[in-house]
Amino acid sequence: MAGVQPRNGWVIWLSLALGLLLSVSPLPEFMQIGRPLWVALILTYWVLALPHRVGMTTAWILGLAQDVLFGTQLGQNALILTLITFLVLSLHQRLRMFPMWQQSMVLMVVFGLAQLVQLWLNALTGSRPPTLAFVLPALVSALLWPWICAILRGLHLRLNVN
Amino acid sequence: MAHEEQVIKPLFAKGPSLGIRLLVFAVLSAVLMVIDARFETLKPLRSQMGLVLTPFYWLADVPVRVWDGATQQISSRSELMAENEKLKAEALLLQRRLQKLAALTEQNVRLRELLNSAALVDEEVLVGELIGVDPNPYTHRILIDKGEKDGVFLGQPVLDARGLMGQVVEIMPYTSRVLLLTDNTHSIPVQVNRNGLRAIAVGTGNPERLELRHVADTADIKEGDLLVSSGMGQRFPAGYPVATVKEVIHDSGQPFAIVRAVPTAALNRSRYLLLVFSDRRTPEERANDSAEAQEAADREAEQARNGEPATDAPAADAPAQESN
Repeated sequence: MAGVQPRNGWVIWLSLALGLLLSVSPLPEFMQIGRPLWVALILTYWVLALPHRVGMTTAWILGLAQDVLFGTQLGQNALILTLITFLVLSLHQRLRMFPMWQQSMVLMVVFGLAQLVQLWLNALTGSRPPTLAFVLPALVSALLWPWICAILRGLHLRLNVN
Repeated sequence: MAHEEQVIKPLFAKGPSLGIRLLVFAVLSAVLMVIDARFETLKPLRSQMGLVLTPFYWLADVPVRVWDGATQQISSRSELMAENEKLKAEALLLQRRLQKLAALTEQNVRLRELLNSAALVDEEVLVGELIGVDPNPYTHRILIDKGEKDGVFLGQPVLDARGLMGQVVEIMPYTSRVLLLTDNTHSIPVQVNRNGLRAIAVGTGNPERLELRHVADTADIKEGDLLVSSGMGQRFPAGYPVATVKEVIHDSGQPFAIVRAVPTAALNRSRYLLLVFSDRRTPEERANDSAEAQEAADREAEQARNGEPATDAPAADAPAQESN
């Protein structure tokens, strides 16, 4: 792809940074368990839209940033985000054809899987949630997907990010 | 759309396949996790990265701060605000002094005449402010605005105005992470303030509940008992309130009684907290030191009385050991 020059890359990084910010912003107690996977959502959009710009390496580095931010074992969130990116990339062509609600369904499964791995890794370090509530963020994220997608697409097209 | 094709093509054109890339990153992550969990090599790197990322918590907290600031502006002038802030810190320091009172009165009853020799060391403290909460709802950890540069050390006990909150588990240059008592990986040795019965209080993952492990069915513990830190693990200073017993369940099918307690500290509400610099000496050293201090005091008293016949110096060791 020698012909395509990277344009307005800062939008991608800014949106991802915003995702990190949202993922640590204070929330009321009852909303904590359903906190959307902001970083994963925004990352998924960019992976779907610009797979040549944003890929697994970005996901991994972003995951490391998350690990430092959350104080989890270094590599834990990195693994999760890489896994999500892998799944999204391998479903890439189908996913782009799907209508919005179907994309949401698929992403719910993808995020659910990621949360399951997250649960296993948490269990290794001793802090495991006692309930099935760990899938709640996946559900909330899937419900948010159409809106995130619309907002980011608007930005993407308006600023002509490439 | 030509644009779409341009975008999709390179995915197939370059680099190793997806599976291989996933494998590489997964192995890399696993190695990192193991190294981070088992060895110390990554700790400095981590604390340096923490330095870069901590502003995130500060930024994330901006809306809350702005709101707080706005309400304060409306209600009072800026001088009053500063004064209020100062008074809050002062009140916190004073309340901490009071915390020890309950334990001291109890001790007083038991040790009456020996107490004056058990010079209780008053620990130094540092006031810190909460700047962030762990986004994972299943772990109870908070981020505070004091770090290595302020002398914070690993395992340092943290209090609020009403009781023990937890301990420092990770230090970064200007911030540190505190593990709260109620995290389900945390345990703290406690004793019942009323009768000195020892137990271990384990976090449950519920911010309003601790559980006492291995308490015999016949043990003298009942609803409303105050649990204070026993200082047994030599991590937490002795005598600070930890929790109040909420219920004691005797189930004949269980080998031990089920004892539930509510932390006295406002774990999920306190904004200002205290870092305690307790005595780093071992109990033996402390016992010896206080015994020597007692002996010196006795000798002085004797010299002051001068002509009077010398009475035996009290066995200084016994009270000194009690002071631990």
